[in-house]
Amino acid sequence: MSEVILDCMGEACPVPLIKTQKKMATLSVGDTLIVQIDHSCAMKNVPEWARKEGYNVEIEEVAEGEWEIFIEKTK
Amino acid sequence: MELKNNKYYEQWFKNAWTYVTGAVLLSLFQIVTLVTTDAAWGVTGAFANWGAWIYQALGGSVDGWAYFSSKSAQATLQGGFLRDGISIRNMGIIFGALFATLMASQFKFKKIKSWRQVIAAILGGLCMGYGARIASGCNVGALYSGIASLSLSGWVFALFLFIGAMVGSKLLVKYFM
Repeated sequence: MSEVILDCMGEACPVPLIKTQKKMATLSVGDTLIVQIDHSCAMKNVPEWARKEGYNVEIEEVAEGEWEIFIEKTK
Repeated sequence: MELKNNKYYEQWFKNAWTYVTGAVLLSLFQIVTLVTTDAAWGVTGAFANWGAWIYQALGGSVDGWAYFSSKSAQATLQGGFLRDGISIRNMGIIFGALFATLMASQFKFKKIKSWRQVIAAILGGLCMGYGARIASGCNVGALYSGIASLSLSGWVFALFLFIGAMVGSKLLVKYFM
């Protein structure tokens, strides 16, 4: 049930999505990945992929143009 | 009520518009562009002119270059930036994007993460710019406007764009991540 932070600040598509996919594969069920992004397109494709995988997703705007995507590995 | 909690502000400025909204608007503007300017939408053609103007400002001459040898290309170069509609439209895209990000209050100067990222950006930009010029168009002028004009060339461009994107993604993952 650990929380892992993935720093994707300053990264443009498709890098945040690929990094997220790779990181999620290493987590165990119940863990939460927090992806930090400042690229608005990643706000679309990262949650879209995670929801398709069936994970719980929440997005939080932490500052102007900065977001944290919480992805819970549910299975 | 605070602006940021206003439902219409959220709908129009804060949340990203759907792909369908974007597609419909792009199509409408493509029609308006074709009707009013007698030419389909293009972007990167103007970048070659920007390069030529900068080169001329530094004392160079492009008169002997095959790319600028046509009468219309010469006329555009002589007319200057403010008389080149494509250049003005490109500025509109840049300022429009700035306006949108400011309205959503998501403007941010992004930090450069690494030298790798800089090299990838420069290499990618050069490849795209060079490719767009030898293909006589980018994903807008050659692909989108090409297909919209019922031209086969647009579909050929699409096929190779897809192959290029696949190769590019593999290189990105292998060398720049």
